[in-house]
Amino acid sequence: MIGLCLLLWILTPHFLTVANMLNVMEQTSINAIVAVGMTYVIITGGIDLSVGSLLALSGVVLASGLKAAWPAALAIAAALGVGAASGLVNGVVIAFGRLPPFIMTLGMMSVARGGALLFTDGRPISGFGAGFRAIATGRVLGIPAPILLTLAIYALAHLVLSRTRFGRYVYGIGGNEEATRLSGVDVRFHKTMVYVVSGVTSAIAAVLLTARLNTAQPIAGIMYELDAIAAVVIGGTSLSGGDGNLGGTLIGALTMGVLRNGLNLLGVSSFLQQLVIGVVIIVAVLVDLMVKERRT
Amino acid sequence: MKSGARIALVSFVSFVSFVSCNRSGSDAANKAPRIALVLKTLNSPFFNDMQRGAQTAATRLGIDLVVQAADREIDVERQMQIIENLIQTGVQAMALTPSGSREVVPAVVKANRANIPVVIVDTRLDKAAADEAGAKIVSFIGSDNYEGGRIAAKFIVDATKGKANVAVLEGIPGHETGDSRLRGFRDGIKETPAVRIVASQPANWERDQGFNVFQNMLQAHPEIDTLFACNDMMALGATEAIRAAGKAGSIRVVGFDAVDDARKAIKDGVMLASVAQFPDEMGRLAVENAVHAIRHEPIEADAKVRIELITKENVK
Repeated sequence: MIGLCLLLWILTPHFLTVANMLNVMEQTSINAIVAVGMTYVIITGGIDLSVGSLLALSGVVLASGLKAAWPAALAIAAALGVGAASGLVNGVVIAFGRLPPFIMTLGMMSVARGGALLFTDGRPISGFGAGFRAIATGRVLGIPAPILLTLAIYALAHLVLSRTRFGRYVYGIGGNEEATRLSGVDVRFHKTMVYVVSGVTSAIAAVLLTARLNTAQPIAGIMYELDAIAAVVIGGTSLSGGDGNLGGTLIGALTMGVLRNGLNLLGVSSFLQQLVIGVVIIVAVLVDLMVKERRT
Repeated sequence: MKSGARIALVSFVSFVSFVSCNRSGSDAANKAPRIALVLKTLNSPFFNDMQRGAQTAATRLGIDLVVQAADREIDVERQMQIIENLIQTGVQAMALTPSGSREVVPAVVKANRANIPVVIVDTRLDKAAADEAGAKIVSFIGSDNYEGGRIAAKFIVDATKGKANVAVLEGIPGHETGDSRLRGFRDGIKETPAVRIVASQPANWERDQGFNVFQNMLQAHPEIDTLFACNDMMALGATEAIRAAGKAGSIRVVGFDAVDDARKAIKDGVMLASVAQFPDEMGRLAVENAVHAIRHEPIEADAKVRIELITKENVK
C-alpha cells in the first residue's frame, strides 16, 4: 500500500497532494463502510451478497423520508432501521433456517433491489437540504466529514471485534462453529447479529452516498458487494472464516481506491483499469495465502 | 496482508512501466493544453463515435485529450470519482456526458471551484438541481431529443396511415435524454388518436433488456404492430424477440441513434427507421468549445447538433 503510493508519487505529480489524498479517502469511504459489515460476516465464514441492494433500499427510504419533510435524524434512523431489519431477516433464515448464506443473501439481493424499484417506481429521488448534505460535503478542521465518519466507524467496529465477547464469538463461529456451540455460546443469535451489523453498515453507506450525490437511486450500489468482498480479502481476511481484522479491510479498501485514483490520474484507458484491478485482487490474495502457509 | 499489498505493487509496477512507455511521447510535448472528456461508458458505439470525433478534433488543434468513462453507464458514483480525480490532475477544461442529470451536479460544482470550465455533452444537467447548487457550465452540446421523438412519431403516423398499436421501450427512468424523446414522441402522435400506445416500459437502454421486455410485451399485447424504442440497442434487442416470436416482418420497428447495427437492420428490412444523431460531431464540438473556454473566446451556450431520420431510402 505504501509502496503503491510511493510509485504513484514518482509517476505523477498530482498524486501526493493533500487535496488528492483527501479525495481518495473520501471516495473510498463508501466501499470501506460497506466492507466493515462484510468483514464481520466473512470472519464467521459467511458471505453477504445483498449489501449493494440493501444500500439502494435504505437509500430510497431515507430519501423519501427527507422528501416528506421528516427531520434528517428521523429519516436516517428509518434508513438504518430498514438496513437492520433486512439484515435480521438474512441472519434469522441463515442461522435458524440453516440456509447457506450465499443463497439467502443472493435472494435478498434481488428482493431488496425489487423493493427499492417498486418503492420509487424506478425513478431516482433527489434534492435535499444543505443540512443533510453536510454529511458528505461538510468539513471539520479541513477534513471531509465522510473520512471522519469512516474512521469513527472503524474505531468502534474494531473495538467491538477485538475487545468484546461478541467479537470473540464472531471469530469462534468462523474458526470452529461446533466447538463454539459446545462451549455454551448461543451461536445462532450471534450469527444473526453479524448480518444485522452488515445491514446497518450498508445503510450508513447509503446515507453517505445519498448525501454525496444529492440523490437516492433504486439502481445504486450494483456490484458493491464485490468491491466490499475484494476489500476484505485484499485485507487478508480468509473467506473460510475465523481469521482477519478490520485494519486489513481498511487497507484493502484504500488499496482499491488508490489504484482507481492513480489509474485515472495517469490517464489509463478505462478498459485496462478493470483488468488491472482484477489482476491485483487475484495476485494479492494468492500471495497472502502463500505467506500464511509458509508461516505454519 | 502487507505482502498482499506488496504484490499488488509489483503487478502495478510492471503495468505502469508499460503505460509510461506509451505516454512518454505525450509527456515530451507537455506544453499542449490538457482537456478531459468524461463519457458515460466506452462500450457503446454511440460513445465510441463521440470519442473518435473528439480525438480527431484534439489532434487537429494540438490538444492533449484524456478520455475516461465508468465501466457501466448507470454508475454515477464512479463517474463522479473520475471527475474528482481528473480535477486533481489539473486539466484545463472538461467535457462531460452526465450519467445522471442530477447526480453529477455536485461534481460540476467541484470543477467550478477548481476554475475548470465544463462543457456538457448529450445529456442536459437537471436545471433545478444545477441552479440550486450553483453549478455553472460554459456550453451544452446535444441533439434536440424532443424534436427527434417528434420526427419518429410523424414517420410512424405516415407509415401506418394513422392507425397503429404502438409499444414503447423507454430508457433509464429519470434520464433527461430518454424523457425528452418520449415527450416528443407522445406529443407527435397526440393529433392522431388511432395511433395508440398500448404498452410503455423502460428497458434501461440495453440490448438484452430490450429483448426481454419486448418479449413480455408481446405476450401481454399480441395486437402490437409498431415499436418505438428510445435507442437502437433496445430496438435491436426487440427485433430478436420479434424473430423468436415468429412475427418477423409484421411489426414495424423504429429506433433512435442510427448506430451501425441499426443501419444494417434497416438495410435488411428488420428495422424500418432510426433517428440519427451525430455523436462524432458532438465530440468535435465538445473539444472545440472547451478550447474556446480555455482561450476565453465567445462560445455558443446551446449548440444543437443536427438530427436526421434514416430509412431504407437514405441508409448508408
